[in-house]
Amino acid sequence: MKHIQKGKITLIIIIGIACLALTTIMFMQFKIVNQGDINELEVMREEELRTELANWKANYEEAEMQYKQKMQTLEEYNQKEISDTETAELVKKELAQVNLLLGKTDVVGSGITITLKESQSAEAPITSDNLNMIVNSLKEAGAEAISINEERIINMSDIVLVSNSIIRVNQQRILVPYIIKAIGNQAYLESALLGNGGEADKLMKLGHDVNIEKDNRVKILKYNKDLTAKYIE
Amino acid sequence: MTNKRFVSIVLGIMCFALTVCICIQVKTVKQYSTSIGQNYDQNNLRAEVLRYKEKYENMLKEIEQADNQLNEKIEEATNQNTDLEDAKNEIQEGNKLIGTAEVTGAGAIITLADSNLDASKVLDPSKLVVHDLDVFYVINELKNAGAEAISVNEQRIVPTTAIECGGNIVTVNGEKIGSPFVIKAIGLPENLANLQRTGGYLQAMKDAGLTADFKKSNHITIPKYTGIINYKYAQSVED
Repeated sequence: MKHIQKGKITLIIIIGIACLALTTIMFMQFKIVNQGDINELEVMREEELRTELANWKANYEEAEMQYKQKMQTLEEYNQKEISDTETAELVKKELAQVNLLLGKTDVVGSGITITLKESQSAEAPITSDNLNMIVNSLKEAGAEAISINEERIINMSDIVLVSNSIIRVNQQRILVPYIIKAIGNQAYLESALLGNGGEADKLMKLGHDVNIEKDNRVKILKYNKDLTAKYIE
Repeated sequence: MTNKRFVSIVLGIMCFALTVCICIQVKTVKQYSTSIGQNYDQNNLRAEVLRYKEKYENMLKEIEQADNQLNEKIEEATNQNTDLEDAKNEIQEGNKLIGTAEVTGAGAIITLADSNLDASKVLDPSKLVVHDLDVFYVINELKNAGAEAISVNEQRIVPTTAIECGGNIVTVNGEKIGSPFVIKAIGLPENLANLQRTGGYLQAMKDAGLTADFKKSNHITIPKYTGIINYKYAQSVED
């Protein structure tokens, strides 16, 4: 009798352990399935994951920095009944930032200057598409200010081809040579264009003359037309 | 004896149920990816990516709160000062054009979608798909037609927005979007309607069998940019 009881107890304990293990595994599985946008992440490889992680980390750090700045300004407001001049100062600062982003100010900074000279013997001419793609690649590489032949690229800038030969930027006609200036991380900007399949690389292969120069002080002029919304309520 | 049998049966059923559950779970997880659990490092990385994404999103929410508070403070402070009223309005108008404020107005909605044709029946299936370039050109045409604010699948176009090809999807502002692409634009609807012209880009897309719908609208709301624009290299200078 005693022997049987002992066996029974061991059995129960073993079954208990088994159940616990099974439940644990189940919960682990549930947790993995629960993690919302994991779907997308699942199919990524290690290198992709690393870049993704670096991206989000950078995003987060930038956000944190901005948050701290904002909190500091808020603190300034809260700490003292600030005087009129101080309020004016803060508002001015914010306005300056808005104007910078709008493209209403001349800007300087490190960046690159790209000179495109059209070659008559090239397989195809340089079109607005090429310029559009260059601008897009530069933005992709984090360009903060761009101009083509001193026409500042703002948020709503267009680059179009008229009658198959005339390129217009901001509705202004531009002529060869095309000089594109961009401010941002020089290495990123350059490699975005020069890499295999990059726009500068494509144009060179077509036979055009492309020259990229790094400059620690690129100056980009402001957008010189009126910037008021007429249709936004 | 019957008691023992009863216990065994209950335990048996429990074990069976648990095993079935686990099997279902494992199968579900396998559907997402076969690689899961293969590499501890990778799982860790995934968790880390998610963590930072979440942290970032939380931070954005906090920034929005801080922004609101700041605006209130500025409002209070400028109430007594008419000089600052102009500057404040200028800031508000500027934010609308940059894309850091939600805007409404008349305009148009364009929908681009992949073709419904059977891909096996055409020479080049790639032609049945809306590409990043299609989205890019339509946006460029909208800008040309005088659009003042544009969004693609709720991603606001800001000065730093790039439209990238990301394989099966298109990336706008670093966020992945896919077909159908709903492009909203605020501007004079009659001018925006020029995009429908014969020989225009939308027409060409339609001819190629893709969906390229154009619809005027009197009331369009375009969301604000959810990220942060922070210039590190460019600095304003006096002219």
